[in-house]
Amino acid sequence: MINAVHISKHFGAVKAVDDVSLHIQKGEVICIIGPSGSGKSTLIRCLHGLETPDSGELYVNGEKVDFSKDSTRQLAHVGFVFQLFNLFPHKTVLENLTLGPIKAGGVPQAQAEETAHKLLKRVGLDDKAQSYPAQLSGGQKQRVAIARALCQSPEVILFDEPTSALDPEMIGEVLNVMKELADEGMTLAVVTHEMGFARKVASRVLFVDGGKIIEEGTPDQIFDHPQSDRLKLFLSQVIHI
Amino acid sequence: MSLEAFQRIMTSENVHFMLRSASYSVIIAICALVGGSVLGLLSASMKMSKHGVLRGIANVYVEIIRGTPMLLQIMLLFLGGPVITKSLFKFVFTPNPYVIGAVAVAINSGAYSTELFRSAIQSVDKGQWEAARTIGLNHWQTMKEIILPQAFKRILPPYINEFIVLLKDSSLLSSIGAVELLQSARVIGADNYNYLVPLLCATGMYLVMTLTISFFARKLERRLAESD
Ligand SMILES: Nc1ncnc2c1ncn2[C@@H]1O[C@H](COP(=O)(O)OP(=O)(O)O)[C@@H](O)[C@H]1O
Ligand SMILES: [Mg+2]
Repeated sequence: MINAVHISKHFGAVKAVDDVSLHIQKGEVICIIGPSGSGKSTLIRCLHGLETPDSGELYVNGEKVDFSKDSTRQLAHVGFVFQLFNLFPHKTVLENLTLGPIKAGGVPQAQAEETAHKLLKRVGLDDKAQSYPAQLSGGQKQRVAIARALCQSPEVILFDEPTSALDPEMIGEVLNVMKELADEGMTLAVVTHEMGFARKVASRVLFVDGGKIIEEGTPDQIFDHPQSDRLKLFLSQVIHI
Repeated sequence: MSLEAFQRIMTSENVHFMLRSASYSVIIAICALVGGSVLGLLSASMKMSKHGVLRGIANVYVEIIRGTPMLLQIMLLFLGGPVITKSLFKFVFTPNPYVIGAVAVAINSGAYSTELFRSAIQSVDKGQWEAARTIGLNHWQTMKEIILPQAFKRILPPYINEFIVLLKDSSLLSSIGAVELLQSARVIGADNYNYLVPLLCATGMYLVMTLTISFFARKLERRLAESD
């Protein structure tokens, strides 16, 4: 579905992503873990062209993404959820959801709104359709952001630390929505520090350090039978559930 | 100077004349503000463009306007405009001082508001561009739907201030024969061999207009601050 081949990205002298290849297949739930500064965000952002890789190729459904041109059309059915939500503050929740389908997808307004209401119900927020983002709690904002990504009829949704900016009591509601998506068969790739979520929901866990995938495997392999010293050190430092 | 002089000079006819001229000042300022916004937005987007040529053109525009007196720009456009169209298009026109003046003030305002637009656009969080990208919007759709509405909120207070500046700048058009508020005071002054009285009246009228505008500007600013 998404195939990244030998992707590298530098920032000055820093090799944020160092020759990483990653193939996301339909129905997979991939969790990407690793220490802070290891290149997780840069990697997931490269998969949506939010960072342009210095080298390497990205294929979406076998079609090569052309970063030199406006690549948004090719990535239209790849959703993205940000750590800081990035909702549009001057638009209502409903408008946040319908803007993409109406402006970019050419969907008629009535139909876009119907879909948006359905998706808001799915994340439990249909009563907030006319609210502005500033009137929502962090957890609600992130659920709206997930609904906005779902409005793109995505084949896969990428998440960059979706719960890291949330108060602890709101993390659960967002993870629950994500778990439901996973249960329904949606393809997800999630950068996360929530080891409990990764262990329960992931079909494959990647451990990233120094811009490279150091180890990958099932949750059982990664969490209970880590091979590399770096992963063992990392796991000993994070609190796990 | 006495009250008698006021009553003698400021006949209702002359007061009407000054009020009508004041309305021309306002209209000139509005036209210049609208034209200046378009030019400023255009030159701000050129300044942020990837293309060096576009950036260069915008820079030259801004530097020329900021580096020369406004009075000179107005006179140059008034006297030079017809010469240029004649040599380029073999087309001669009699310049209307109001139109040429408003255009000149717009060109001037556009250069000064370029920086205003650019900094307001760049002050919008980068994450907004990124989110727009992930829902499939292209560059111009993002500008129009996401960035400009947010930048506009930030621009509004300084922009109302710009309107006050333009209202005052419109007095420079008296130099090319437009009878705006200041020029009307001078005409009345010449007719009555007394400049001080009509000039004081003009002072009062300018102040009423500018203070009213800044009163509403402050109110608006407070309203905008609340909705954040
Ligand atoms: N826009 C940027 N400019 C400069 N350096 C960056 C930028 N983004 C990330 N980096 C650097 O790249 C490395 C990887 O960062 P990041 O992908 O954010 O890591 P993570 O998400 O795992 O914490 C870090 O050293 C970080 O400082
Ligand atoms: Mg990160």
